[in-house]
This record gives sequence, structure tokens and C-alpha cells, in this order.
Amino acid sequence: MFNNIFVKPIIALFLFVLIFACSKDEDPEPAHEEEIVTLVTLEVSKVGSSETIKYNFEVEGHDHDDHEEEEEDDDHDDHDGEHTEIELEANSSYNVSMFIYNDTDPNNIENITQEIIEEKDEHQVFYAITDELSGFSIEPASDDTVDSNGNSLYIKTTWTTTGETSGDVVGYLIHEPTQKTGTTRTDFGGATDFEIDFEVHVE
Amino acid sequence: MISLFRFIAELFNLKSKNSKCLNFYSLKKTAAGVSLLAASFCYCQKCDLQFEGQILDLHDNSPISLAVVQVLDSDQTVFSDYNGFFKFESQCSGKIKCKISHLNCQDLYLELDINKSVFKKIYLEHHIESLDEVIIEDSKIKDLLSTASAYSLSSLQKDNYSGKGLANALEQISGVNILTTGNVISKPMIHGMFGSRVGIIYDGVQIENQQWGQDHAPNVDLNAFEEIRLIKGAGVLKYSGDTPGGIIVLENTLPKINDSLYGKSILSGSTNGRGLNIVSSWIKSYNSGNYFKAQALVKRYGDFSAPEYVLSNSGTDENNISLTFGKNKILSQWKTNFSYFSQEIGILRSSHIGNVNDLVYAIESAKPIIIKPFDHEIDLPKQVNKHYTIGVQYSKRDKSNGKLNAKYSWQRNNRREYDVRRGELKNKPAIDLTLNTHDLLSNYQWEKSNWSLDSGVFFQIQDNYSDPETGTRRLIPDYLKTELGTYSTASLTPSNNFSLAFGFRFSHQNNHIKKYYKNKRWNEENYQDKLGDFVINEVLSQKLVEQRLIFNNLSMNTGVKFALSERLNLSLNLFHTERAPDIAEMFSDGLHHSLATIEYGNPFLRNEVTQKVVVNFEKEIGNFTYNISPYLVNGQNYIIIEPTGIEYTIRGSFPVWEYRAVSSTIRGVDLDFSFDFNNTIKIRNSSSWIEGFEKLSKTPLINIPPFKSSNYIQFSIPKLKSLFMTISSKSILRQNQFPNHNFETSVVENGVRLNKLVDISTPPRSYHLFGAEFHWGPYPFFSNNINLSLIFDNIFNSSYRNYLNRLRFYADEMGRNVMLQIKIYH
Repeated sequence: MFNNIFVKPIIALFLFVLIFACSKDEDPEPAHEEEIVTLVTLEVSKVGSSETIKYNFEVEGHDHDDHEEEEEDDDHDDHDGEHTEIELEANSSYNVSMFIYNDTDPNNIENITQEIIEEKDEHQVFYAITDELSGFSIEPASDDTVDSNGNSLYIKTTWTTTGETSGDVVGYLIHEPTQKTGTTRTDFGGATDFEIDFEVHVE
Repeated sequence: MISLFRFIAELFNLKSKNSKCLNFYSLKKTAAGVSLLAASFCYCQKCDLQFEGQILDLHDNSPISLAVVQVLDSDQTVFSDYNGFFKFESQCSGKIKCKISHLNCQDLYLELDINKSVFKKIYLEHHIESLDEVIIEDSKIKDLLSTASAYSLSSLQKDNYSGKGLANALEQISGVNILTTGNVISKPMIHGMFGSRVGIIYDGVQIENQQWGQDHAPNVDLNAFEEIRLIKGAGVLKYSGDTPGGIIVLENTLPKINDSLYGKSILSGSTNGRGLNIVSSWIKSYNSGNYFKAQALVKRYGDFSAPEYVLSNSGTDENNISLTFGKNKILSQWKTNFSYFSQEIGILRSSHIGNVNDLVYAIESAKPIIIKPFDHEIDLPKQVNKHYTIGVQYSKRDKSNGKLNAKYSWQRNNRREYDVRRGELKNKPAIDLTLNTHDLLSNYQWEKSNWSLDSGVFFQIQDNYSDPETGTRRLIPDYLKTELGTYSTASLTPSNNFSLAFGFRFSHQNNHIKKYYKNKRWNEENYQDKLGDFVINEVLSQKLVEQRLIFNNLSMNTGVKFALSERLNLSLNLFHTERAPDIAEMFSDGLHHSLATIEYGNPFLRNEVTQKVVVNFEKEIGNFTYNISPYLVNGQNYIIIEPTGIEYTIRGSFPVWEYRAVSSTIRGVDLDFSFDFNNTIKIRNSSSWIEGFEKLSKTPLINIPPFKSSNYIQFSIPKLKSLFMTISSKSILRQNQFPNHNFETSVVENGVRLNKLVDISTPPRSYHLFGAEFHWGPYPFFSNNINLSLIFDNIFNSSYRNYLNRLRFYADEMGRNVMLQIKIYH
């Protein structure tokens, strides 16, 4: 009786396991990270000049570069990624346009800027200027996007320098801000989509 | 699927072959057999055959005396003797018709073809009315473990929480806490352990609903079950061997065996959340033992409120239905059930943040950053969970008082988590996991007066599918898990004041995983050395790794229980538990928005082994009863998650939390006492203290509940028989033992760069909550009975935060709630 009750089901179970071999047959599709910002570009051109300098800021998504042979130790401390410095001349004005991309798939780089402009009421770019950068100001450009309440989005801005100085400008893209104007990050509420330190040198 | 069904059919087929040995009309050789066999060669009618037999009770094999045995053709009648024997002489060969009747039994008609003298055992079934007793005996909720105390919820305790979910209901038991994410998502925590370390068994199988996550509440409706019991220990090896925390068993009692229609409906309305909860369950039973049960729940809650503000987007909707159809007979029972659970839960809007600096602002702000007026809408972020169950169960008793059970169950769980997203992704879930689990179980139980044995085999196949359409990295990879095992448990009660139990459970687990690793992470962790051989594809700077991981677990327990005197019980239980690491613990990979943490699994984890000792000391002195239960858990390879660094991206900085195995110790004591003043006032207290730490570094473990003490005073006024009330107070002290996971982050505030401490570790201060309950009834209401309850929670509307709430950084807990409940028994 013992045999009947136990042995047969066990044999059946083992057969079942054998027959089905329990494998995931098809490979899962790779997931496209559709939403994330992996690359932010600032296109800086001096007012009155036709020359445009592009500054790229990326940390995530640049690992398809093969030249990752930097010293290991540096990798841990170098947490701001590449230190890209923005060089500006004193007593000048610059037009700065921001472009936002997702380049996770190098064959299909997504430009998110347009999407942000379309959803202008739900987004806000904010530049926090550190006190070290004295005499430096950022105003929305005349061709900047304005949301339905008349607030500039700060996608296109004019940067004005006076004397020689250097310091950080922190650029934020804020998703669903509770308030669209303010002088410091906390005034806006919302969730930070990106937060980048731009190191500015005015010479 | 089809093949699975075929397999089940095959299994049942095997069972029916088995039952040959249990054939109730087995023939027995008689002494005269040989000679009569010779006689039967002659084809003429012989009238010198003997027909004798024994009449036995179908249910317990005992002889039935004074049964009337009638040969209908010849009108001969005899009675069975004291031992159930009867005898007819000089029968003619050929067909005879018999009728066997007895006062307590159903008449049995029997047709026999005799061509030789026969001896026949005849089993009589009780009258269907008296069958009830048998069923009652059978349906009596048996001890889960004879040497450990099971804590069960009374039906009042259960009904009071009909709208709040399983975990909240269980929190009434000492040593049980709830780990929450906001107000609705709550999971039970037993002895400081939760998730995969706590098993929830419903209808005999463990619920598989991605229980690993802290923000994954069990997808089960407590209202669908009549009995809710809990064992603080891994003792119920019949159901699970990998749950050192404890086990929660949800069961249904067997319905009545008579023609009736009965049930219960509960209607509750709450002020906080302005919600409504309706539960109704109906059972239609028949004389034949057939029954049909239907149960449904509808729940609608809007935003809950803290004392000072609305907790925007914290509402919830739930719709559940379960249907059961079955038949109970003396010797066999079968049951098939279907259940559907669907839940939509709003996640506090303010808790959806972008990066760590947002978290700093949230912690600094006394109020949630987003407070909107109350509404019933469930907006983003939210969770939508669906759980389907289909089960078929069959059990059969045999003459030796054994019982064979077989069960198949299919569970399908779909979890969708929606984040606040941009553009066309807005209505796409960020997590979309579908988990299909098939369980096949078979066991055999023997029960004798002073011992019992239960042994069985189980097989599980589980498939997880993570939809790539989400446009996010998979938090959990696709996997297929196969588990096969066996268990045996035994209990012995040599005397009335001593019992002994032991058991083991072995399981073999085979996980087949296909996971994408980002090259960045791959290189940082040097996975190439160990996992390089398993790479099967490389695409979009991700590597697809295929792995087959095998785990063998052997869990054991043993326990003794002494009745030292009539009113003093002492029990000691030892549990050795082996748990295979969860897929989440090994392979999770993703961002948690509520804490702005990136979570990584550890693919090299090994079995977690724990030993647990639970002592239970129960004493009754007159009206005073107390129960002290100290316990100690010793863990090797105890899997914990903790911060290991910070990942800097252009989205901001994110602390990285990784799984790691440590040696750990958890110890504590649960205390319950009650005192009864001449039946009008009853005082009850439940307290629990616990601490847990990593052995080597003595670092406290995270999310260990602080000291908690609950007091209840119950009044009943003798003149007003239909009213009783309870006043309760709950004190929760501050947790002073916590790991310090604080870190600093750099923020720019008003033009100044500052380093700010991100205090994610410091537990909130202690708090006291008061509540009151008033219960009226039962009153006759048409042909039914009606009960009314008025329940006040957090009566003084105090503002507090709970250490075990994952969203404690963002908002206070719920304020005052008044609930009116109408209960109708029909």
C-alpha cells in the first residue's frame, strides 16, 4: 500500500519533471529604457558670433565606449563623471540651448527635448548659480518656450558674464513641479529628472 | 497547460488503481471455499451455499450489531450479532438481493451473485444526519503543530478588520508587526522577519504573489476564510520549510450537511478615507453533501488623512470574488475553487521623488510636499495587482483511518506598478510582472489515538515574466523555477500531559534564469570572471546571462509539550530552516522611487540557514492567564539588504543597496496576559520585545520592530446583554537599535553649496494610540440576526510616524477614524 500511495506519484512527478525539463525557451527581449535621460548637451554660442560650442554631459549610458582603461581608483572618486568646463569670456552674453537625449541605444538616440517642450506645464528647467559665480546671470532667451501660465521653461537661455570668475551652475530638470518659479531648488517641489553640475569659467 | 491537466488525470488514475487495495467489498476466503468451488462446476442450482458476513461501520471500522439483513427474494431475515457477524444457511446459487438496514444507518441494497459460499464484509454508512458529526470531527481545525501554540483570530477580531486587510488583522497577535508602505500596503512581520520568511498558506498552498518586496502586500482576501491561524516558527513543514519567521494559515471549515442557505454580510463605512467596504458570503448546502459557496468583497476608499493634512493619492479600490463548489461524504471529499483578487492602490504622491536631494527636501519638510484636496481618484503613482487562483482538491479516507489528499492549484499573479512618467509612457506601468505558479501536492495522513503521521510529496513550477514593454530595466528577470520535494511530520502523545512532534521537509529547487546585466555594472563588479561563461547574447551594452541554479533545502523541527500541572503548560520547539535565496535577492536590479535607492541582487548567494528556538510557558491561575514566549533565532547566510555606496548619474545621486549574507541573531519575547473580573471587566495585554543584530559587527538589523505593548479593557454590562465595549491603548516605543545608514549629499541652496546629512536611519519617536469599540447585538432582523459595531481608531487624532513604514520620511500616519459596521447573519 505504501508503494501505491507514494512510489507511483513520485515516479509520475519525476517523469513530469523530465518531460518538461523546465526551461525558459525563448530569450527575453532586451528592455529599452525609454524614459531616462542619459545625455544632456549645452550648445553655447556667443551673441554676435556664429561659432557654437557643444558641451556633452553624460554619466549613464556612455559605457559602450571601449576606452575604459582609466585607473581603477579614480573611478570611485570621480563621481561627477567627466569634468567638462564651460569656458566663457568676461563681459559677454551667450545663447545657451539645452538638448536632452536618451542614448541608451546608440543606433536610436532619442531626443527628449521636444517631448519636454510639448509637456511644458509639467516640466521646468532651473539653473541654480552658486555664489562664487559673482556677476553672472541667466535669463530666459527671447525664443524660449513659455508654458500656458507665461512661465519660461529655461530651455533656451541667455548667460551674461561680467568680471572674471569661476564656479558651479547646477542645472535641474524638474518633473511636475509644485511651483514654476523660485530662487532655490526647494521652491519648485516636484521630482528631479536630472541634476548636473556645470563648471563655469569666466575669463 | 493541457499536458498538466493530462498529468493530473493520470495521477488520479493512479489513485483509483491504488484504491483497489482499499476495496470495501473485498472477498475473504472461507474454509468451505475449496469444496464449494468443486460444487460450482455443476451448473444446476444448488441450494446448500452459505452466505455470511460482517457488518462494519464505514467510518471507523467498528462492528455494527443488530443490523437487519434481509434476503429479499426468500424473505429471510437475520440480525447481526455483537461482533457484526451474520450468517444465512442453505442459499441457492445465482443472484440474490439483500437489504441491510440499521437504525442509525442508511439502508443498503446489495446484489450478489453467489455460486459458492461467501463471506462478505459489508460497510454501512451512517444516516446523513449523523454524518454531520463525522464531518464535524473531520472539519475540526486540527492542530497545526501539536507542540507549538497556534494563535488564531476570533471571528470578531477578523470581522473588525474585514476592510483593512490580513496583515492589520494579524497585528492583534503579540509578536506580529506590520511592515507598511503608506497606509494600505502592509505585510505581516513575525519575530522581525517578513516577506519570503513568512509563509501565507491559503487553502493548503502557499500564496505566490511576489512576496519578496517590502511594498508587496499579500494578495489575499481574509474575508474568504473562516479560520486564520498563525504559528510563530517554521513548524508547519507540511506547508512550507523555508519560513523561519512563521506561518499564517487561512482555512475554511466544512459547511453543514443539510439543505440550507446561510451566510454573513458585513457593511462598513469609515470616516477616514470616506470609504465603504462590503463583504458578503453565502453557502448553499444540500443533504447530499454538496455545497456551493460564494463570497465577494467590494472596497472603495479615497485619500486617507493624517491629523493635519490629506495624504494625497493614498486611496484604494479592491474587488474580490471567490467561488467554491464541493461535496463532502464520509469517505471522500472534493472541492474545487476559483478566486479573483484585484486591487488598485494609490501611492502617496509626495513619495515619488527623483533623486537623493529630493529625499533631503522631503525629510526636511514637516509636511508632504504635495497636498491636494481630498478625492476618490487613484492617480499616479499606483499599484494594480491581480491574483487568480484555481484549485482542485480531493481526499479519501480508508479503513485504517488514514486519509489521502491530493491537490492541484494554479495561481496567476500580475503586478503592475505605475510611476509618474513622461509623454506616452504615462499610462504604461514601470513594472509589469506576471507570475504563474502551479502546485501539485499529495499527502497521506494516519491518525490514531495517541499518534499521527503525515507524509507527502509536492511539486511546484513557477514562471515569471517581466514585460519588456514597460520601457524600464527589469526589476526581476524572467525565470522558471521548479521545486520538488517531500515531507513527513509525526506527533506522539504518549500520555495526556506529554506530547512530542518531529518532522522534516526536503526540497530540491531548480531555477532557470535569463537576465540582462548592464555592461557598466558587469564591469564594476567583475562579473566576467564568475559569470562570463554564462553569457549567451550581448545587445545594447547589456549582456544576457543564462544560469541554472540549484538549491537543496532540508528543514527539520522537533518539539515537546508538557502539561506540568493541569493549568501549566510548557512547550519547547526547535526549528532548523533552510531557505533558497529569492530570485529578488539574487537578481533584482532597479530603482525604488520612494527611497531613491538603486537595488541590486547578489547572484552568488547561498542557502540561508536559520535555527530557531521558541519556548512557550502558559499558566492559568484562577481568572488570571498568562503566556510567556521567549525565542532565539540564529542565522547563517542570513540575507539582508544594506547600502554599499552611491551611484552618481546625471539624474542625481542614488544610494546603492545590495543584498549580502551575514551571520545574525534575533531574540525576543512575546507576552500575553489576561485577567477576568467576575465576567464584567476583562483586561488583556499583549507585549513584545525584540532585538536583532549582525553577529560579527554587532550592528543592529534594519526594520526590527520596537517594543510594543497593547492593552485592552473589555466591559460588558450584565443588564445590557447585547452590548459590550472595549477600550484599547497601544504604546510603541522608539527603536533605539538601528543601523546607521545615513550619508551626506551635496546640495546647492540659495547659491551656497552645502553638504547635507540624509537621515534615512533615525527611527521616529514613540507614540501612544487609543481606541474604543462598541458592539451591539445580535438583534433579530426579519429572519436574520444583525450586529452593530462602532469602532474608533486613534481617537485623540495624534500625529505620529511609524518606524516600520517605508514612507515615514514623507508623511504622518493616519489620523482618527470612525468606522460603523453592520453585520448580518443570514
